[in-house]
Amino acid sequence: MNMLTVVTFAPLLGALIILCLPKEKVKAIQTVAFIFAGISMIASLAMLPGFDRGTPDMQFIERYAWIPSFGVQYFMGVDGLSFPLVLLTTFMCVIGLIASLGIENRVKEYFFWFLVLEVGMIGVFCALDLILFYVFWELTLVPMYFLIGVWGGPRKEFAAIKFFLYTLTGSVFMLLAILALYFAGTAPHTFDMLELAKMTGGWSKNFQILVFLGLYFGMAIKIPAFPFHTWLPLAHVEAPTPISVILAAVLLKMGVYGLLRICLSLTPVGFQWFLPALVVIAVINIVYGALCAMAQTDMKKMVAYSSVNHMGYCLLGIAGMTTAGFTGAVFQMLSHGIITGALFLLVGVIYDRAHTRDISAFGGLAVKLPVFAGLMSLTAFASLGLPGLAGFIGEFLCFLGAFQTWKLAAAISVLGIIATAAFFLRMLQKVFLGKLNEKWADLPDMTTRELVSVVPLAILTVLFGVYPKWPLDLMNKTIEHMLGK
Amino acid sequence: MNNLRLLLPEAILATLGLVVLLADLFVPVKKARVLYHLAWLSAAGVLLWTALTLGDPSAHGVGSLWSVDPFSQFFKVTTLLTCVLCLLLGLDYKELPEKHAGTFSALMLFSTAGLMYLVSSTNLLMIFVALEVVSISSFILTGFERQNHKSNEGAMKYFLFGAFSSAILVFGISLYYGAAGTVQLAAASAAPGPMLILALVLILLGFAFKASIAPMHFWVPDAYEGAPTPVTTFLSVAPKLATFAALARVFGSIFPLEAYDLTLLFSIMAALTMTIGNFTAMFQTDAKRLLAYSSVAQAGYLLIGLAAGSPLGREGVMLYSFVYVAMNVGAFAVIQAVGSAKGSYDLSAFDGLSKHRLGLALSLMFCLLSLAGIPPLAGFMGKLIIFSSAVQAGHWWLAIVGVVNSVVSVYYYFAIAHRMFFREPADEKAIPVGAYVCGGVALAVVGVLLFGLYPEPLLAGVRASTKILP
Repeated sequence: MNMLTVVTFAPLLGALIILCLPKEKVKAIQTVAFIFAGISMIASLAMLPGFDRGTPDMQFIERYAWIPSFGVQYFMGVDGLSFPLVLLTTFMCVIGLIASLGIENRVKEYFFWFLVLEVGMIGVFCALDLILFYVFWELTLVPMYFLIGVWGGPRKEFAAIKFFLYTLTGSVFMLLAILALYFAGTAPHTFDMLELAKMTGGWSKNFQILVFLGLYFGMAIKIPAFPFHTWLPLAHVEAPTPISVILAAVLLKMGVYGLLRICLSLTPVGFQWFLPALVVIAVINIVYGALCAMAQTDMKKMVAYSSVNHMGYCLLGIAGMTTAGFTGAVFQMLSHGIITGALFLLVGVIYDRAHTRDISAFGGLAVKLPVFAGLMSLTAFASLGLPGLAGFIGEFLCFLGAFQTWKLAAAISVLGIIATAAFFLRMLQKVFLGKLNEKWADLPDMTTRELVSVVPLAILTVLFGVYPKWPLDLMNKTIEHMLGK
Repeated sequence: MNNLRLLLPEAILATLGLVVLLADLFVPVKKARVLYHLAWLSAAGVLLWTALTLGDPSAHGVGSLWSVDPFSQFFKVTTLLTCVLCLLLGLDYKELPEKHAGTFSALMLFSTAGLMYLVSSTNLLMIFVALEVVSISSFILTGFERQNHKSNEGAMKYFLFGAFSSAILVFGISLYYGAAGTVQLAAASAAPGPMLILALVLILLGFAFKASIAPMHFWVPDAYEGAPTPVTTFLSVAPKLATFAALARVFGSIFPLEAYDLTLLFSIMAALTMTIGNFTAMFQTDAKRLLAYSSVAQAGYLLIGLAAGSPLGREGVMLYSFVYVAMNVGAFAVIQAVGSAKGSYDLSAFDGLSKHRLGLALSLMFCLLSLAGIPPLAGFMGKLIIFSSAVQAGHWWLAIVGVVNSVVSVYYYFAIAHRMFFREPADEKAIPVGAYVCGGVALAVVGVLLFGLYPEPLLAGVRASTKILP
């Protein structure tokens, strides 16, 4: 049974079926989307028992010739780094679909693009052939363009094309770097990541640095690492809620994943060379991201900038080049996906009711919307790194890992945590506490659909916070292997 | 005259063109469409024949002024394929006067036959004659809508520019004769000197005109805008690709690029062509002009493969050429359908197309995405091979210019996608799509998707047909 193929391509089948359905049959379209995203999620969960936590090797490998004349293979597999991310993706897509039930305009096209997007995202984490990776990587662009451009906010069209061009610029340089790796390998040339990783010893430092920079450019835009983060606030703010969730929860992870999977393993010398710069970028991401978030009055924009800040923790953890740092980075990816996903959903909840996201427009909402206030507080606390919740584990491990190598950088970055706490607490205070703004006196609390999409995320946040061993066990062996231990 | 039999397909096609022309005299105007059918069936028959003998060694050989090899056979297939598709588009193009159907389709066949001679020529004079056959038929075809001022203007500009570049080409050939003492390519043994270099540069410029390579691309937008859409489609694909085949034969196999060090010249022209094409296309408001500049840019990508001068580069050119037929014909077919229905090729005609004709809008988008080189469509595979040939040859800057240009091109291709999917339609006018256009579009989209997802058969076929006989 080719499990990874099922996980990756089940949504594609769904998308094709949706394409054949008449556009008036909204219920049928939604059902099909759920069935196939569900198949993908269940199949990925079904892989859990069979996943061997004791080995760093690739598992569930599938390898077929795709374009043998050019050395391209259909080569899929997962290890402790990618498998948690595959689970995150399939899970968040189902959450995103629940949140998408509110979409009323052009439903057929929406779910079609959503499922195509899911294929691309899962594929990126499973592909072990560089061209296959690139194809999946680019496959996310077109659906995202339409999802932002058709169903987004007031400046959606500009946001969509900016996102597309920005990301494409990065990825074409990544493509050139991939081609350079291809020709640098010994004949017969291959795009096989695992084979290429064995050849790195023969490549000169300058070559590795150049290739690394090409790859990094593509990844950095996706992460987004300073100074390539400027597309993110716009895209996040303009995208419809479910798409913001997917963007934050999964798409940003593609960049960090690529950094670990491709840059580190294929250009280790280039990676080492870049580390001092990476630390600086991480610190800027953390501090600058937090300060930008603090300056926002739009809640969604604030959460978007908090993503820049959180991705900075990932980069800091990676730059530490220690087991703790790497573990922290991967864990942070998972926890950020869950927490920020929930935050975007909750911001969407209030926006749907009040049609504004201005922080200062509210006040005293905790009285009227107790459930909403509770969930929002929980996720905000998780996001600012309160111990006992998922965010803390990731951030703590990132700092722990980085502190061993970069003491000053870690020290400065702690300031970022304070700023993060500040803007989240200010938001909670202005929106939920104080005197009730009479304008919102009859806002209804969360509906069942909204609860169904947010509560699982909240539960996971608590679960991962108090019992992080389970996800950590999944990734430990692989991370030790990546660091050559 | 050795091995005249090798040119039988071309000869038969030209004869069939004459037959169509003769039949025109006897077919009543009301039934003139039958001539289109006769023409496209003739081309399809020759296409089938050529395609079936593609790998047959008995169909290959060297003649006095020509050689038929897998390489030329491959380009004959692309040319004939384009011709068939464009004639099918012509069947659904209402602006063409019925009474001239015979002339129109005969000229298409002559032009195609000329291109088939061109890709086989191993003699500069034969190349010149073949190019003139193509050019003269194309001039007439461009001005075929006699009541349309733009059509006349385009034909006039095309003609003037064509005459000028023919003169350049002939001058180059005469210098070449002076330096080498022959116009036969294989016999070239002259020592490289200033005269020979000048000759080669002039010949290159003559070719650049046909392939719409900068700085000889100025006729392209006007001619493409004015010409009847099926002719635009034909001009943007067949002569361009055949000229690239001739370029590869002349400069790739007979004179190795490095022997005269024209690599840098090729690279600069490639970079210039892509950049000019893409950056000018961004400002177009007419769909045909936009695609005209896009086709200039596409010629630039193809030229990268030639500049690399390696077997991989040649494979890239061939693969991309084949894919280019599908994506460009597909795009123009949709544009023809929309333009004819709305009476205007302005970009605003595409507003809200997805509301009325989702299939048409999606097809055009697939073709445009493929032209932009977005995976997993066929255009990506072509660009992948072409860019990798540049990387392999160490032309880093050229590869970088190429990929940056691909990003720029997304901007204007998506300007159309943006109108089709994001805007509201301006009117409720129905857009009728003829059966033949529909078939052409379907074929193109299937090709774009199929060769994108599973390019192996095409790549293997290309690899088997790279052989050039001297």
